[in-house]
Amino acid sequence: MKNTFSFIIIVFISLLSFNSCKKSYLDEQVKSIYTPSSLTDEVSFEAAIAGLQEIVRNQYEGDQGIMALLQTGTDVARNGQTTTAMAPYETYTLLNSQDVAALTFWKWGYQVINASNVIIQAAQSGTTSLTSVQATGYVAEAKFYRAYAYNFLSTLFGGVPIVTQPVTTPKVNYTRAPVDSVINLQISDLTYSAANLPDANHVVEEGRPNSSAAAQLLAVTYLRANQPALAEAQLTKIISNGVYKLVTGRYGINATSPGDPFSDMFIYGNMRRSQGNTEAIWVIEEAPNVPGGVSPTDQHRRVWVPFYVNVPGMLVADSLGGRGIGRIRPTNWWTYNLYSSTGNDMRNSRYNIQRKYYYNDPSSPKYGQLVVVTGATDTIQNIYAHTTKWNSYNSFDPFGTLTYKDRIYMRLGETYLLLAEAQFLQGNTTGAAADINILRTRANAPLVQPADITMDFILDERARELIGEEDRRVTLMRTGTLVERVQKYNPTSAGSIKTSNMLLPIPQSEIDVNNEAVLTQNPGY
Amino acid sequence: MEKNAEVVRSTSAKSIWINPIPARRRKNNWNIEYTVLTQIKTNVMKFTANFVAMHKAWPSPKVLLVMKLTTLLIIVTLLHASAKSYSQITLNELNTPLKMVLKSIKKQSGYALIYDSNVLLNAKVSVSLNNVSVNEALETCLKDQPVTYRLVQNNIVLQAKEIADPDKIKAQQAEINIKGTVVDAKGQPIPGTTVSLQGTPRGTITDNDGRFEMKNVSDAGTLVISSIGYTTQTVLINEQTTLHIVLTDNSKELSQVIVVGYGSQKQSDITGSIASVPKERLQNLPVTNVFQSIEGTVPGLTVTSTNASSPGSVASVNIRGLHSITASNSPLIVLDGIIYNGSYNDINTNDVESIEVLKDASATAIYGTRGSNGVILVTTKKGKTGKPSVQYNGYAGPEYMAHEVDPMNGAEYVAKNLAYDAQAGITPAPVPNQYEDANYKSGHETDWIKAISQQGYIENHSLNVSGGTPDVKYYVSGDYAKEKGILQGYQYHKFNIRSNLDAKITSWLSAGTNLFFNNNNYDGGKTNLFMATTMSPYGQEYNAQGGYQIYPMFPEELYTSPLTGLYQPTVNHTTSWNGNAYTEIKPAFIPGFKYRLNVGYTSSPGMTGDYTGRNTGDLIGHASITNTQTTNLLIENIADYTRSFGKSSLHITGLYSSEKDNTFSDALKANTFINDVTSFYDIGSAQYQQTTSSFTQTTLVSQMARINYSYDSKYLLTATARRDGFSGFSASNKYGVFPSVAVGWNIANESFMKNVSEVSQLKLRLSYGVSGNEGVSPYQTLTTLASTQYINGSSTVIGLIPSAIGNSNLKWESTKGLNLGLDFSILKDRISGTIDAYDTKTYNLLLARKIPYITGYTTILENIGKTANQGIEFSITGREIKSENFSWETNVNFSANQNKLVQLYGDNKDDITNNLFLGKPLDGIYDYKKIGVWQTGDNFSVDPSAKPGDLKFADLNGDGKINASDKTYLGTQLPKYTAGMTNTFRYKGFSLSVFLQTVQGVTKFNSFYNEAGQANRINLPAAYGYWTPVNKSNLYPSLSYTNSRAYGYPSDASFTRIKDVTLSYNFSKGILERLKIPNLQVYASGRNLATFTKWKGWDPETDESYAIAGGNQSSSFYPLVASVVLGINVTLQ
Repeated sequence: MKNTFSFIIIVFISLLSFNSCKKSYLDEQVKSIYTPSSLTDEVSFEAAIAGLQEIVRNQYEGDQGIMALLQTGTDVARNGQTTTAMAPYETYTLLNSQDVAALTFWKWGYQVINASNVIIQAAQSGTTSLTSVQATGYVAEAKFYRAYAYNFLSTLFGGVPIVTQPVTTPKVNYTRAPVDSVINLQISDLTYSAANLPDANHVVEEGRPNSSAAAQLLAVTYLRANQPALAEAQLTKIISNGVYKLVTGRYGINATSPGDPFSDMFIYGNMRRSQGNTEAIWVIEEAPNVPGGVSPTDQHRRVWVPFYVNVPGMLVADSLGGRGIGRIRPTNWWTYNLYSSTGNDMRNSRYNIQRKYYYNDPSSPKYGQLVVVTGATDTIQNIYAHTTKWNSYNSFDPFGTLTYKDRIYMRLGETYLLLAEAQFLQGNTTGAAADINILRTRANAPLVQPADITMDFILDERARELIGEEDRRVTLMRTGTLVERVQKYNPTSAGSIKTSNMLLPIPQSEIDVNNEAVLTQNPGY
Repeated sequence: MEKNAEVVRSTSAKSIWINPIPARRRKNNWNIEYTVLTQIKTNVMKFTANFVAMHKAWPSPKVLLVMKLTTLLIIVTLLHASAKSYSQITLNELNTPLKMVLKSIKKQSGYALIYDSNVLLNAKVSVSLNNVSVNEALETCLKDQPVTYRLVQNNIVLQAKEIADPDKIKAQQAEINIKGTVVDAKGQPIPGTTVSLQGTPRGTITDNDGRFEMKNVSDAGTLVISSIGYTTQTVLINEQTTLHIVLTDNSKELSQVIVVGYGSQKQSDITGSIASVPKERLQNLPVTNVFQSIEGTVPGLTVTSTNASSPGSVASVNIRGLHSITASNSPLIVLDGIIYNGSYNDINTNDVESIEVLKDASATAIYGTRGSNGVILVTTKKGKTGKPSVQYNGYAGPEYMAHEVDPMNGAEYVAKNLAYDAQAGITPAPVPNQYEDANYKSGHETDWIKAISQQGYIENHSLNVSGGTPDVKYYVSGDYAKEKGILQGYQYHKFNIRSNLDAKITSWLSAGTNLFFNNNNYDGGKTNLFMATTMSPYGQEYNAQGGYQIYPMFPEELYTSPLTGLYQPTVNHTTSWNGNAYTEIKPAFIPGFKYRLNVGYTSSPGMTGDYTGRNTGDLIGHASITNTQTTNLLIENIADYTRSFGKSSLHITGLYSSEKDNTFSDALKANTFINDVTSFYDIGSAQYQQTTSSFTQTTLVSQMARINYSYDSKYLLTATARRDGFSGFSASNKYGVFPSVAVGWNIANESFMKNVSEVSQLKLRLSYGVSGNEGVSPYQTLTTLASTQYINGSSTVIGLIPSAIGNSNLKWESTKGLNLGLDFSILKDRISGTIDAYDTKTYNLLLARKIPYITGYTTILENIGKTANQGIEFSITGREIKSENFSWETNVNFSANQNKLVQLYGDNKDDITNNLFLGKPLDGIYDYKKIGVWQTGDNFSVDPSAKPGDLKFADLNGDGKINASDKTYLGTQLPKYTAGMTNTFRYKGFSLSVFLQTVQGVTKFNSFYNEAGQANRINLPAAYGYWTPVNKSNLYPSLSYTNSRAYGYPSDASFTRIKDVTLSYNFSKGILERLKIPNLQVYASGRNLATFTKWKGWDPETDESYAIAGGNQSSSFYPLVASVVLGINVTLQ
């Protein structure tokens, strides 16, 4: 009897153990991650847009020198403390298809494009609960970012593969589209965005792109497409829509301290439109000590501020910009010549360019004296004149691991410079001079005459106005002036740069991995 | 096994002490010695001569009688026993030596054969019998022979026919009272032993002290003494009234039944490549991890560990080379028959009874998609019938740094700085940093390595109680291990409890449990060896308040104090709860069939918490807490059927199982605390907080069938097939089938080998099969979005970003393997061993294939690519000296594996970025070829940017310049061959074991040479012989060399190590009896005692992740440790 009972129990347990016979036992249940099919409603699309914004903000992540080399090896700067990634951008003979920076830019661009494509496809799938207005808005926003990435890629590399759908298979047969096709895609995307995005007064969130940002990027694209008239139309629209105005007076959190209107714009807490920056068109936001508040290794301050703490007798000081490591050393042309003809140009004030350093360590015998350095590396990475736009200091992080500062990607100041360029390209030097004089008036700099206007002059003025803001290398590649200006103003790189350096090499690893089709290499690599 | 069943006693033996352990002297100075049957010369002529000689030399009949009756050593195995009762004997022999005929009976019946050396078996007989009983067969064969037989249990006992002796006959009629004790080999009484008088129904059972008494028994009678777990003995009373009987436990024989996965097999029947870890490796070694103890002892098994010596570190193991590039290369661990997913550290070494390593596809195919990396079967100790036995094993001893790389002292450091300044052309400064000034001026130096070091210490205490009745057996153990590291802050302690219970509920039903609990604790903030090596000897160790100076070389802030880590409150512990239960049914109505249900459940919660605060240079305070819990549920249904018919025997095993694995983790991170007081214990008080969690689940369903067939114990066949379904693969590819087949040929059992007495075992094995690897994370078939955080204004918003692209065609990777093996034992077992050669090909690799970034992704997991491994391995044991008081035994194992990447993406190109080279071994070293250092006056045209003192590289492609295309494949981190040698010497109670390990043909990057352009910022090793215009080194570059080509200084990392030496002493019986304890052993054991290598730096085996600067510094680098412990092993009863 007892045995029978035991036997029944055993049989029962055995039967239980066969519960895995159920067919669904091997189905995967995803509980802690999302899939593209999760994008179904407004909340999820808002999250997808925030994710896309994060990828866009990571544009300069990677090797510490990535953002620096967009400045160095050009007319405005040379390498200070060099990294492996930076070396080929000073000695151009080292620039080859194995280049780290080219690969980093390429990878970033297509990450933005893929994330945009995921949103565009999901919003247009018809299986969401979005209203058609909402769907259009998300598509317009995603297309703006997609065009931003394509513009960066096609400026740096020329024609690149066009991908407009999320990839679902291990595809290895890409080919490069002609650069015109990429530009046409940008025009199409940006036209859509400019038409469907709200203006700066009506965006849901300040950090999200508005119609003017799309228009300005569209104008840049038209300039690249050699359609300056169309560019001018977009730029004029921005200037005349009444939403923006140049900063001409002191404002914001530093308004009562020494400074000037130009320097006010670049103080954290003053940089956004809501903080009084009436010029701001597109500002990427950062915030100290807030989850999601900063790009993982934001190097802006470190690369721009000299490594003055390396000089005995110098300590980290907030007034000197915090701790820098001196990767971007402006060229002598920028340091000594660029502002020499512009009198009391506000953009060259001591609030905007730090030119002198004084020993600040009270225990140093030289305390209070002017730092005069002699050694070879000292003036290259330790002490040099630098723009204060990236000065920042956080008392909790004196070492300066990260920079917590908004990034002004587009402002009205540049709109005038682009307009000047568009007008100049149409032969309208009068209009161009007038545009530039609007900026010069604000800066208390001497006005210019239409006869002064050349492409070089416009690029000089961009350097005066936008140093530290624009990716100088990108501007020079866009305008096709990189080689001549480097030869003219950057003696370190003048000997090694060649015409072929006007485009970056297509990353060799991409060519290798894409083994079922040929990604043509740019000439010279 | 077979050989032990045929025991011959030499004529010099005089004792009734029965003990199969070779040559032990007893207090009465009697001695027996066993040799195997093969010792007897089978040559008839020789034998006859011997026979005559023996007759002449024979002692008196009385002694003879004693001798004859002391032969009865019976060796039984379960497998043997199961085949017996149905035996039918068929013989067809013509003029065959009797010995052969008897052997044939033995094989057909499954009975063991036992006889004295005075039993004459060389007469030739002719018999023809068909399907007769054992009795009938023996009757027929032994008719007219000077031999009688008896069947004792399942043994055929042969005796020479007695010569009539009047005295003897008289004595036989006397009746006496006898009493005696039954003890085991260690002298412990065995209660509950059955003592019966042969041929009568009379019998008794020993009491708790192992004593028994019988009255009025014939003084010539025979006692049969049997107890479960011991070899049954028969003893002639021979007029003795007091008997002392020693039973040998049959674990030695059982050990030759090898655990093979879902069952066990006699070693002689095994067809696959299965290695057993030598038992002595599992005891008396100062290790906290079971795999540390088997490192280097099993051919083909590689144990590698990052930070091998770090207290409580977990080794990683691979078997027969690397198969996978992306998927896991770890073997499957099966603990007490149940697949084990926990940490290796949680298996208490003191509880381990045996470890078997399954290496070839035939052996591993039964584990299907999880078998291709090999399988390690760990079996823990079980209780034995008898009085409770308490065992304590404890050891303790100091630990030392096995080898220290001394940094430069003050003078050397200053010389280095001045040399740097001279080379770099900057103002000479003896010490570059402000905080060095004071100490430099006062001449105060700090030895930073000494500053972070402490006297290391290891101790382990293990206590177990085991025992049981024939129906219920138990083994309960507790273990406590503690290790204090040689660097401050490093510590490990663990606590482990195990309970193994086996119960026979009814004649057909048994059940049992294996339960264990383990707690690992790695708490505490730690010092940082890397930082210590970088510190200036003139740096400031302490600040004005007496605390550690955060930046000892201020304003240098990248290299921080190696000691401030001690300020970080850190908890890090993992716990695991493991419960396995089984039920086994053997229904009487289906003989040979049994069904077993295994249920295993594991739950492993773990927690870490740490905090960095103001005193470590963190001005706001950062805290983090992580909790992880993995659970695993496994249910196995195993059906098993054994049947013998004629000379054939068949064993069928079937399996249906399912498994579910869940991992849940959550993490809290916070920063900006008011002060450091609460550390991570009040994480809610921080201003900024972040929470994350994740969950993954995998499921597996399996069916397996295995057939073992053997014919005449000569021809063996194993065929298996397993079908696995794994949740992580795509819907259409969830199931995979893995077949294998293996054959074995016991050549020694062939008739033509009968006359070759030098060979006692010779078996050829051949196997071929397919096994799989599912070793990838779940959800790889899905394209996923990861959540992230972004901001709106200054508020966090949640974002989703594409994180991985799924592959909807994913399936397992497969390994096809061929294995040829030979097991042998020759020269009277003086040399025995195993040789295996194998050839495996792994295809459909689960490879994280690189795809163009254009897709938006980096890689996709795809079944693509092939690798191959070929190798040879052997393990040979020689018993050079084997005498009563002294023995010397040597075991050598060797394995050479040739690993090769055969195919990658199909484009016939190397993937340099991922260090994958077609036709070359994995884990390659790809770099420039250094040919020296540039010297003043050299022609620099090939490397125009170089200056004297820079490294000079070979222009391998001859294009006149040095660039990335001059890099080449310089070697691999996988060794060409590894070998281990253990010499064991025993003298009386002493035993000395010396284990040497060698690993040859390894190339690794060596960070010793690589100061990575930081020579002006940090201290360097004293032995760093940097180039100067005077010291024109061709080995080291100048200090100002910037290593812009990121050369890794590949170096030969081969080494030979005196891995461990153990000296133990077993107290003699006399002393033990006075102390009234059954067993006492003391030992001393040393580990990592000496290393012979060309390597410069800390240790060639230690992971090279320790690298100066360049962003590669490892804060957890820990040097190799040497330890010496004293231990005691005592059994109480």
